[in-house]
Amino acid sequence: MKEHMPPSQEDEGSPAEPKCKRRRSSESCSWDILPVLSEEESQRITLLQAYAAPVLSKKETSRLVREVSAVHSLKSLQHLKRVRACKDRGSPHPLEMLLCLALAKEKGHVPSLSELLPEGQVNSCGLGQPFLVLVPSCPPLTRPQFQEASAHWPTSFHENKEVTKALTGQQFSREEKARMQRYMEQAIEVAQQGAERGNEAVGAVFVDPATEEVLAMGHDCRKSNNPLLHATMVCIDLVAHRQGGGAYNFDSYPSCSFVASVKGNSGTGAADLFDDAGSSVLPYICTGYDLYITREPCIMCAMALVHSRIQRVFYGTPSPDGALGTRYKIHTQKDLNHHFQVFRGILEEQCQQLREKWH
Amino acid sequence: MGGGEEAAKRQRWMEEAFRMAKEALGNGEVPVGCLMVYNNTVLGQGRNEVNETKNATRHAEMVAVDQVLAWCRQNCKNPVEVFEQTVLYVTVEPCIMCAGALRLLKIPLVVYGCQNERFGGCGSVLNIAADDLLGTGTSFECIAGYRAEEAVEMLKTFYKQENPNAPKSKARKKDSDES
Repeated sequence: MKEHMPPSQEDEGSPAEPKCKRRRSSESCSWDILPVLSEEESQRITLLQAYAAPVLSKKETSRLVREVSAVHSLKSLQHLKRVRACKDRGSPHPLEMLLCLALAKEKGHVPSLSELLPEGQVNSCGLGQPFLVLVPSCPPLTRPQFQEASAHWPTSFHENKEVTKALTGQQFSREEKARMQRYMEQAIEVAQQGAERGNEAVGAVFVDPATEEVLAMGHDCRKSNNPLLHATMVCIDLVAHRQGGGAYNFDSYPSCSFVASVKGNSGTGAADLFDDAGSSVLPYICTGYDLYITREPCIMCAMALVHSRIQRVFYGTPSPDGALGTRYKIHTQKDLNHHFQVFRGILEEQCQQLREKWH
Repeated sequence: MGGGEEAAKRQRWMEEAFRMAKEALGNGEVPVGCLMVYNNTVLGQGRNEVNETKNATRHAEMVAVDQVLAWCRQNCKNPVEVFEQTVLYVTVEPCIMCAGALRLLKIPLVVYGCQNERFGGCGSVLNIAADDLLGTGTSFECIAGYRAEEAVEMLKTFYKQENPNAPKSKARKKDSDES
């Protein structure tokens, strides 16, 4: 029974040990891939004032933790450890203990133990004079946040390994990066073809990562008299065409194309993409797909990708009103029913040049 | 503005939008209907066509926009000027995507029925209608609450019969995983 295998090897590498082997992935890649994290993940940690006191008698620690916790439960601060090893090695007491949050109005004056711990409920014998400390107000979500938080007061950390790998640039293998580069090169090429016909120089490519197949590629088509035909909207419709639907005709733009879908071979989740007849595909057309686009999508296009249930978006360069990192982070927006991963920086320089050349 | 007359017209247009929404419901689509009115003339009307086109962006507003564009082509009008004087009447608050599209088209005014708690782009989830976005067209005004209860009822009816085309909810799966 596979699922009962002990998680043995996993524990061997200490999580505190940083991996110094920073793989400089393939020399031909002069670009870096950056995850576009949620607001909560990317912000710096915020701090609160709290009172702590030295534990003078180590033997009393567990009793003190029990009694103090009963009075000051720190419910909203479950990520904080109650006791820490004393920072100052030369200190006569080895441990320090978190008592309670400090009220803003008590600035300057540090109350005594008897003011903080009601007599009768806590026997403060074994504690020293309280002092002010800064503690992180929220649980850390990323390793950089964890490192920043722990510098103030020890916190627990449930690491998201994927995010950590993404942040250290180790999420994608050299082969994957080479493939990404090829997809983005196709997006740039199709952008140029669109620009030659007077459209904004933006190109996009839909890929099924399960089969590594390019499903559709398209460019901005605003010159066709429709101001809403941004590259993303064009590509979403091309995928719809591929599945027997679609709303627009791109005959006058031969670079906007799709690969006809082979019945029964639609890649990921084929079973629930087909209806009873086994031929037509359901409308959540981009489920499981990746989009490569030369620049960050606008708010309309970003939300269109939510509606289309995209899996991942890779873009080259940010846009001033961009909705996948710059002005909004629609892909992590709370309350929406679908979230997805976003990475930026793929062939960033070339994508930036594309924009400048055709401006 | 001639108060009474204007109100009566608005009522007629919203009635027509509701008729479109009902048609959508009858066709297994999310029940949203809309009208685009320019100079007292209906230039476009639409209802949700997502399932029909297999394109998740085919919301009522986007369908109506295409009709207005076609009318502009036929009548040799500049769409930029037409949209700048067009009012949208829609049964449900436009979603974030449609709100973005309406900004890009510089539509000045939207009259709508109920709030769109799931996807609303005019205040419910985000306020794309009013946000400061210099590179994304212009902000627009909203008048909300017209026959809101009726619009909500239609949405409830739709979601009760559960969209057979929607993928299974991930949120629900997560809940049951936690034990």
